[in-house]
Amino acid sequence: MTVDLLTLNWGLLAPELTIVILSVIITLADLFMKNGGDRKAFAWLSVLGIALATYFTYQDLGQPVQSLLNDTYRVDSFGTMFKLIMLIGTGLVFMMSIYYVDKKEIKYDGEYYYLLLTALLGSMIMASSGDLITLYIGLELLSISSYILAGIRKTNLKSNEAAFKYVVTGSVSSAILLYGASFLYGVTGTTNIIGIAQAVQGAFNAGFDFYIYLGFFMFVVGLGYKISIVPAYMWAPDVYEGAPTPITAFLSVVSKAAGFAIVMRLLFTIFAAGNIATGEINAETGMPINFFSDEMTFYLAVLAGLTMIIGNTMAARQINVKRMFALSSVAQAGYILVPLAVVKINSPVVMNISFSNMIFYLMAYLMMNLGAFAVISLVTKANDTDELKAFAGLYHRNPWIGVAMTFFLLSLAGLPVTAGFIGKFNIFVNALLFESYYLAAIMVVTSVVSYFYYFNIVRQMYMRTGNTEAKLAVPFGLQLVVLLTFLGTVLFGMFPNVLIDFISTNFSVMDLFTPGM
Amino acid sequence: MDYIYSNSYTVITIFLLLGIILPLATVWGVGLILRPKNPAPEKLTTYESGLEPTGDAMVQFNVRYYIFALLFVVFDVETVFLYPWAVAFDELGLFSLIEMSIFIFMLVVGLVYAWKKKVLRWE
Repeated sequence: MTVDLLTLNWGLLAPELTIVILSVIITLADLFMKNGGDRKAFAWLSVLGIALATYFTYQDLGQPVQSLLNDTYRVDSFGTMFKLIMLIGTGLVFMMSIYYVDKKEIKYDGEYYYLLLTALLGSMIMASSGDLITLYIGLELLSISSYILAGIRKTNLKSNEAAFKYVVTGSVSSAILLYGASFLYGVTGTTNIIGIAQAVQGAFNAGFDFYIYLGFFMFVVGLGYKISIVPAYMWAPDVYEGAPTPITAFLSVVSKAAGFAIVMRLLFTIFAAGNIATGEINAETGMPINFFSDEMTFYLAVLAGLTMIIGNTMAARQINVKRMFALSSVAQAGYILVPLAVVKINSPVVMNISFSNMIFYLMAYLMMNLGAFAVISLVTKANDTDELKAFAGLYHRNPWIGVAMTFFLLSLAGLPVTAGFIGKFNIFVNALLFESYYLAAIMVVTSVVSYFYYFNIVRQMYMRTGNTEAKLAVPFGLQLVVLLTFLGTVLFGMFPNVLIDFISTNFSVMDLFTPGM
Repeated sequence: MDYIYSNSYTVITIFLLLGIILPLATVWGVGLILRPKNPAPEKLTTYESGLEPTGDAMVQFNVRYYIFALLFVVFDVETVFLYPWAVAFDELGLFSLIEMSIFIFMLVVGLVYAWKKKVLRWE
């Protein structure tokens, strides 16, 4: 029984520990600094720390599955991929924040930086957790940090509203998630995700199917809140509108990636593919037996379809650009869900295709959405309004930013020469390949609807005249963000093979189901 | 074997029903018949452990008490973890010494935070 804990490979935690140490240092430095002092150095320090953590995470690529403390904390290719997305996303959010945060609106700017770090830490724990308990701790760390961040503009009414709505909906959905988890724990007797996966088929056959269904639907509702898909997307417009713009970017990219990480890990390990791990095979077809996978993908397909339809049609009605992007990110979550909804769980190769498509789209989404939010934060702050009118005449005020924004919007709409196009095209082909014609059709039709509102911004930028023609100066941090995301969006659109090869060499879906060493 | 899980809910339901029915029965059912009836004005006063009740029950108190309560809970929980560690110190060895140091350090950061934010000062 006694394991010498000192001999465990604690180096596996290097990326997380880097972030912990960084946030403690910044907390203490903030406390001992003068109240009026400038905290911008914290942001650059955080960017450096995140770069270091990214380096550590990069070292984990290509390793076999390793785990700590009875498989509660796993370092596998799946978690590592998501951690890379989260780290890069948060790094860019920090660069965006340097320009955005000022003392007038955000009095406690030191707290802004270290809460962002703890939110990142929570999402990293979520991506790597192999146990419902660790997973929930990560989820709460992310959620509580982002509740505060959403309301950090203390004197702003909208920001307060955002924080309040976020807390209430967030607590309700995490309660639902926990209730669902308790049913699965009840019928399988373990909180370990792979343990549940191995026991759930037996429990299903023993007549506990009702509780397993209940657990599944509660998981979908509780996790759907984090990725803002249909049953739980209502909070998104209000929260995205009220939160400071870089935090909105964080919620729409990093928090959503964390949500997708646990959706995939929980739903696919537990409900669909547990038998790949146990190796039970149907004697007639030679495929693993799955009691639930076809049903689950059907439910996910319904949700993905509804999410795409509702997100895109509602976004078309918005005149506030942050609300519009909130609903656009709801719609994007629908697209990202499609590869999961069409996947046929019969062979690792087939699953690998779907999951890789999804990871590719998430990476493209990281680039284009963060770039778009960088421009939004610049424009809305310069014009002091969140309405679409803020974009009027942007091309004449700063052509470079105008062109970059055009590419981000093209990419979000899924038009060629951008990473978004490649990602969406792959997902579309994926849906056709697995004969999910309805979903493919909904995807095409709603994409056409989305052109309407994305091009509304383009029209404002090129064809409307704003109040002023004055040059719009861009601060250094934002220049860097826009440049990096622009390069990412366009280069991965022109040479998608680089990214696809990277994913296919370093990601294997079987890692999800392999107990760690 | 199959329905043990559902059966445990049946037991819970029975307990729930008993929990509702028994108090009702004692107050308004059997109790009504058995108990002596002797109303007096003194019986209507608030019970305060034998003291004469004075003042209003609706007293406002300072919101700062909540923050003190919060800090108290932090240290309370710390004790809960420290005590078993102290008892089993010899068996747990070096690793748990490091682990507890990290744990206590994190709590100290919290205390420093409260201190610097002037939570501990009563003004």
